[in-house]
This record gives sequence, structure tokens and C-alpha cells, in this order.
Amino acid sequence: MTNERAFKLEAALKIHLLLVDDEPDFKEIILKRLTRMGIQLSLADCCAAALETLETQPVDVIIMDVSMPGLDGIQCLKKVKERWPLVEVIILTGHASVKSGIEGMQGGAFDYCLKPIDVLELLEKVELAAQKALLNKENAKA
Amino acid sequence: MIQKLWSGIKEALGIYILPTLSADELQRLFTTKYRCFRELLTANNNALEAMSELETALRDGRTFSMTFIRSKSTVVTVNIFKMIQNLRKMGDGRYLNLEKSFSRIQEQIDAVIDKEIIPVEGDWFIPITRVNRSMVEQTGEKMANLGEAGSLSGINIPPGFAVTASASRLFYLENNMYPAINRIFQQTDAHDIEDMLRRSEEVQQLIINSPLPAELERQLCYQFDQLLEMTDHDVKVAARSSALGEDLGRASFAGLYHTELFVDRDHLIQAYKTVLASKYSTRAMTYRLAKGYRHEDIIMCVGCLAMIEATVSGICYSRSIGGRIGTLDVFFSAGSAKGIVDGTKKTNHYTVERMAPHRIVDKALDADDAGAPLSDQQAVELAQISMKLERHFGSPQDIEWSIDPTGTIYVLQSRPISVHLLAAGAEEGVIFEDDRLLLHGGVTGCPGAGSGPVFIVRTNEDMVQFPKKAVLVVEHPLPEWAPLLKRAAALVAETGSEAGHLATISREFGLPSLLSLDQATHKLVNGETITVDAANRAVYRGRIEELLEQQGKRPNPMDGSPVQQTLTEVLKLITPLNLTDPASPYFRAALCETMHDLTRFCHEKSVIEMFDFGKRYHFAQGAAKRLVDNMPLEWWVINLSDGFAPEFDPVNKFINVTEVVSTPMIAIWQGMHAYPWEGPPSVSMRGMGAIFLQSTMNPGLDPAVASNMNQKNYFLVSRNYCNLSVRLGYHYAMIEAFISSLRTERYVTFRFKGGAADESRRVGRIELLAEILARFDFRVELTGDALNARVEKRKQSFLFGRLKVLGYLIIHTRQIDMVMADPQQCQRYRQKFIQEIEEMLSNDK
Repeated sequence: MTNERAFKLEAALKIHLLLVDDEPDFKEIILKRLTRMGIQLSLADCCAAALETLETQPVDVIIMDVSMPGLDGIQCLKKVKERWPLVEVIILTGHASVKSGIEGMQGGAFDYCLKPIDVLELLEKVELAAQKALLNKENAKA
Repeated sequence: MIQKLWSGIKEALGIYILPTLSADELQRLFTTKYRCFRELLTANNNALEAMSELETALRDGRTFSMTFIRSKSTVVTVNIFKMIQNLRKMGDGRYLNLEKSFSRIQEQIDAVIDKEIIPVEGDWFIPITRVNRSMVEQTGEKMANLGEAGSLSGINIPPGFAVTASASRLFYLENNMYPAINRIFQQTDAHDIEDMLRRSEEVQQLIINSPLPAELERQLCYQFDQLLEMTDHDVKVAARSSALGEDLGRASFAGLYHTELFVDRDHLIQAYKTVLASKYSTRAMTYRLAKGYRHEDIIMCVGCLAMIEATVSGICYSRSIGGRIGTLDVFFSAGSAKGIVDGTKKTNHYTVERMAPHRIVDKALDADDAGAPLSDQQAVELAQISMKLERHFGSPQDIEWSIDPTGTIYVLQSRPISVHLLAAGAEEGVIFEDDRLLLHGGVTGCPGAGSGPVFIVRTNEDMVQFPKKAVLVVEHPLPEWAPLLKRAAALVAETGSEAGHLATISREFGLPSLLSLDQATHKLVNGETITVDAANRAVYRGRIEELLEQQGKRPNPMDGSPVQQTLTEVLKLITPLNLTDPASPYFRAALCETMHDLTRFCHEKSVIEMFDFGKRYHFAQGAAKRLVDNMPLEWWVINLSDGFAPEFDPVNKFINVTEVVSTPMIAIWQGMHAYPWEGPPSVSMRGMGAIFLQSTMNPGLDPAVASNMNQKNYFLVSRNYCNLSVRLGYHYAMIEAFISSLRTERYVTFRFKGGAADESRRVGRIELLAEILARFDFRVELTGDALNARVEKRKQSFLFGRLKVLGYLIIHTRQIDMVMADPQQCQRYRQKFIQEIEEMLSNDK
């Protein structure tokens, strides 16, 4: 029987992903699952580390937790979008609230995901964000 | 400045001057718009799915939490925000009013979900003698009731003091505990008992290990010393929970929080924190979830009351929970009442008349405790106290009491009875005295019958393993088993009485329970299916259908709860659809009143944006191509991205269906051609008359009247997407599907409206359509003569099949509204449609 939820990653395999979260366990799980799928992934603990990575590596899509030590995810998102507007950001929020979801979207996030994470749902969002990031790149070239 | 002003005026007037673009630029613009369109469709799909989940939760009686409401409302709101952003990009910045409508509705939703909790300020301690009902916000429900009871003449309560909500709030804030607790619970699955046990323990330890603010600790000890001075002896206290935010009239919260007995000065701080922490016990959390309380609304206060040296203690119900009219119950046993409420002690039961002189009409004395330590005179006094409290509080009361060696009666607690045994439906029936009868006896905790496999629970590990719909069998009906009641089919315990906490909760959940059934854990075997007839105090082997059939639906414990009310309020702002007719002058962004209106508006306009692009920008690739086909109607196709074969020349004005590579369109097309249309039904003169009359009265029904894209039949396609607008005769239909490998991009939607016949015939056809669609797995909504049907996130092959069904139906249900008044014809069509669709799907025709 085909897996109802199985899908092919295409765009996600062509991009570089950055995961920004301060929970080591969560990062490890995501790292394992995503690299197994063939996605290139870097990790950062906080906003400062994420910005540093962006300076040195060609990141296309970021998955970022809202609650982090130092600058929170929403503030960090704004910094990222100011400097790297073509990068697409998926916000992770734990204590779901209408406010933080909307704040993220207003700050230019591509989408948001609720914790606890459904990894397949996250992967789908990564694929869609990757498609958009690739289109951004193409348009920027032209 | 002038330029800015001019662009402002243009925007206000809706005037947009299109830039001149090269062919490449046009292609890029079209691709970008299509990308926005796709994102909008995905967002639409996600928003509609979350709306449907919210509605279903309210309708089907399941248990849902504030986290569920918050997360689903966020999904709706965020996705509609995305739709608006994308539509504005597609519309070159138009639709500004959408954002205003969105913000207005979003703020209203916010206000309902995140009700501001009024900060409690005031004393940290209040002597119990000064407490009354008006202080409920400071002392919690139970202490407010107790203080009030103590103010009545002839009623004694133990000396003591209440530690207020201000004190507990200070403790939480000083230790910054709210974010830490949220962080622990934010990833919890409330239906997973193992996970709940682990996280609940983590939070309780966090609270217990946090220090009390120094001044609060000093004053708490000082209060204890004061109590010591007031009383002559070496006082010890009972630290009792008294939560704020509980509505004791609809939920007992019986035995869910911790009570620490015999607390001395050295252990006071620890005991206080342990009671505070018990707000987060698994049993309290699951109970609040099942009864629809918001954790954040509950603030724990604590009552520190001098321990009474009890010779006898018990519970009174001022109106008998056994349902015997005109009586009240006195349950009691020697020593403290703890064994009665947690069901570990055998209990004596007097039935006493409510009316003075309170004659004792029945004495059920437990064999082990035959020398009843309660005199008849004391029973009468207890009845007097019970009636006084009932009169004072205005409702039947559940009263906990103790009698000290001097014979003084102390009231320890008085709260409304949350549910009556009689109200739960006690009815005497027959006992089947045959080999099916396994056990007979005990007392009814909650009447009714339930059946399932036996599952004996002795430990937390057993609790984690407890399967849904099993019969919970325990030695003692301890409150810690409460989390299992929502999933059990029935409860059987070897000890306990109607007065126990677990029995109370079983009545609230309408769960049949049988207590004090000797040898239950020994005679019942794990895994064996039994039927428990709690009303008639019998347990049978196997399923006894005749007993189970008599069971009504169990009450929904969430009915009338704060969480349910929140969802109802939120749904009023989310789901009603007011914007149903795109041709109406009221179909405007500023008039959107709900989130559903916004999705409907955005979706409609986005399709039109894509539809108009070719014409608007003179872009051949985006222009409509006429489909070459032998069908009598005109079909036009617009390629949004990759819906045509690469070799197709976009300059062509005609296209063959073989040149279309849009998989959803091909599926619809197959459905349309699976069976030849047998032509219009033969119509009686009366049926035809009705059509002519409607045609003249409603010019909107005239197919010749142009209204946007409805004048012809259009397919808007890409490889994975198709939107078909059909104007067949007098009705309007729309099929939309996105079927890609991504789950969020997999759905089929169908809208249908109108017809030429009078309303009853139109509605008749819609109902026939609805029945067929529901049969083939669509979720259907009907409003008057308009139908909305949807199916999503299923396998691709399944969804292609559903598109064929829709293709078939839009061809074959044409004009059948004319014959809807004829039941025979109607039935004939119904059978024919179902038969042909089933054949089509099974043959993959």
C-alpha cells in the first residue's frame, strides 16, 4: 500500500536549510530526519549564531523557533528579512497564540508551524518554502 | 508629494495603470502571480480544514482544550492573512479593505481567546472567621463557602486562615514560573496519559522546589503562630485546596487536588507548595480538559484549618443522591472522612427526612463497623445543619463534617451537589439469574450499563496501558484513577460508596459505576468481556445487548463549560458565510464579517485575477483557448502555468483535449464523458410552467445574461490544478481541485447553485446531489439552494476518482430540477446515478 502521506521532495533538495532553535533534543531529531531525506541542513542555537551562518553560507530557507534566548524568533525574523529578503522563513511556535502567528507572518515569514511538530507537515512546508526561495532567486537573477 | 497624492486618488478610485512589459517580463509576472495564486489556494485549503475541525469538535461531543482552540484559530487566521497578502500581490496592491476587515475580525477573536485575567491584589492571608462569599476572588470557592457557612448561627467551622490568590500569584511571579510551566506543557499531548504523568510530575517538582518569597514565608509562619496562640493545644493544620475559577455547581472537582493533613509548623511551607502544585496533577489536568476548564483561569488558594480530632466524620447530601424523594443522606465512619471520600473505607449510610423533625428512615450499617459511633441525635443535628446550608446557599449541598470528642459538629466543606443520582437516570430493572451472572451486590455509584473487556488497574503503569472502552476494575475507587473515567465503559470497585470522589466524578461523566462489589478484582479476569448493570448491581459475562440498548447517550461533560463557550464565541467570528453571491453588490471586502467571508472573497477574486491576466496584459499564454470537442457546449481553457503540453503553440486560439496535461482537468473530463447524457428529462406541463415563471421573474437565471466569467464554461488549469466554472442551463457550478504529492495541496471542492425551477424543486435537486456526494465521501454543506462539498488530504488516486464523480454529476444532473416534484422520477435518477458512478469508479472508466 502506498503511504498516504508519502511525497517527493524536489525543491527542498536543491536548497540550503538553517534550523534555529535552542532545544538540543529537538534539533537532533530534526537534523536526523531531514538529512536522511537528503536535505542540506545547518544548525544555530540563537539569533546571533543564525546571523553569523547567513554571513558565511548561502542559506535559502530558515526554520526558526519563536522563543529563544537573546533576540526572539520574531525579532530575529525581522533582522533576517531586512538583510536577506529572498530567504524564506518558517516560524515555529510552541504555545500557540493567534498573536505570535500573525506577528511572524507580518514580519515576512513564509509560514508557521506549531510545536509539537508533525515532521511530515514541516517537510511539506519546507518544500513549498524551497519552491518559493528558488523562484525568488530566479527572479532576482533576471 | 503631488505624485503621492495622485497615486492615493488612483488607489481610492481603483484606477491602476499597467506598466508596459516585455514578453519575458510578462511571463515572469504571470509565473509570480500563479505562485501567489497557488500559495493562496494552499492557505485557503488549510484555513477551511481548520474551520471544519473546529466545527466538528463542537458538534461531535469530543473533549477539546484551549490549546486546540488556540492552535486551530491560529491556523485559520494565519492562513487567511497569507491569502490576503497573496491576493494583494496578485491584484497589484488592490483590496486594501481586506486588511482592515481582517484586523477587525482578528482582534475580536483575540479578545475571546485571550481573555485578560484581572490581576488579584490584596492581603495574602485572611482569617477564616472573616471570609465570606464576596471574597471568592481572593480565597477560592471552597474557603469562601466555608467562611460563609461559619458565619451562620449554629454552624461551627475549624479556626484557621486562607492563603489568598494574591499570595500564590506572587509566588509564581517571583519565581517566573508561568513561562517555565507553559514551556513544559506546550508540547504535551493531553490525551496521552503517560506523557501527562511525566510532564505533570515535572511541573509539580518545579513548583515544590521553588522558594517562597522570604516575606511571604515569614508571614505564613506568623499566621500559624497566631493560630497556635488562639488554640490551647499544639495545633496541627489541614492544608486544603480552594481553587479560584471553578464553577462548583457544574463540576465538583472532587478529590482532584491535594489535601495535606496533620501539618505542623516545620512542614507548613512544603505542604502549602504541595497543595499549589496539585493544580497540575494529572488527574486535575485531565478532569479540567474533560470538563472544559481553562488551566489559566484556575488559581489555587489554600485553606489552613486546625485539625479536628475526629471521633466520627462523614458526608451529608442535603438532597439524597439515591433519588429518594424528601430525604437526605448521611454517610459516616469512625475517625476522619478521608477513607470515605477516597473510597478505601467501608461506610455507614443513614437516610434521613429533609423535613423536621428529621426522622431517620433507613440505616445501612456496614458489618465491620456495627457499633455506629453516630447517635441518632447527632444524625438529626447533621440534617438540621445540612438543610440550613442548603437554604442559605440556595441549592442542595454536599457537606463534609467531623465530630470531636466533645460532640461538637464541625463543617469542613460545603459545596453544591454537581449532579444527582436520579438525574443520571436510576431505574430498577431485572436481574438475569442464569449462568451469565458473574457478580451481584455492591452499591450503585452511577446507574446505567456498560460493556467491555475487564482491565484491572493497580498501578500507574496499568493506568498507562488502559485501553479505550474497557471496564475499569479497581480495589479502591481512588481519585487518582479519575483520568481513566472518560475512556472507560464502566467502573467496578471492591470498596467505596456513593459519597466517594470517584463516584461523584463518574456521575458527572455519566459513567456506570458499581462500588463495594466484594472480590471484584479476584473474580473478574483481565480481558474477559463483561456487562456491568450498575443500576441493578449486577455483572454479567459477555455483552448483554438488551441492557446496553436501553442506555441513552452519555452526557457531554463539556456542555456549558468555559472552554465550550469560548469555542462557540470564536466560531461565530470564523465560520458563518455571509458573502455567498459574487454577483451581489454586497460581495465586498469591507463587508466581510467572518474569517469564512474573507476566504470566500479572496478565493473568488484570486480566480478572477488569474482569469483576467491574459486579457488585461494582452498575454497570449494566459488567454483563453477554445476546446475542440464534439460536445454542444463551449468549453474554454486558460493555462495558468504548465497545464498545456510543451509543444502547444500559445498563439493558437483552439486546443485539443489531448494537448491538455492538467491531471485534475483530465479526470473531470473523463467523468463528463463516461456515459452519454440521455438528454433533458421529459417534463410535465406543470414542471415546464414553473421554469418559465422563474425565468421571467429572475433575469439572473437567463444564461444569456453576462456575469463575469459565468457566461461560458472555463477551465483554469495547471498540471496539478483545475478550476472549472460551469454555466449549464440555469445553474452555476464550480469544481476546483489541486492534486499534488504534497498533502496540503490535495483537495477537491464543488459549489453548486441555482436552477430554473421553483425553490422546492431546486432544493430537491441540491438534496439529491448532497446525498450522492456524501455517499462518495464528500463533506457537504447546504444553505438553501446552494451546495458546498469538499474532500481533502486523501490519496491522489482517490481524489481523481472524486473529480470523475463531479464531472459525471454536472453533466447528468442538468435540468433534473424540472422533475424533482415527481418522486418516482427522482428515485429513478438517484438509482441510475449511483449505479453508473459506482461502475465508473470500479472500472476506472
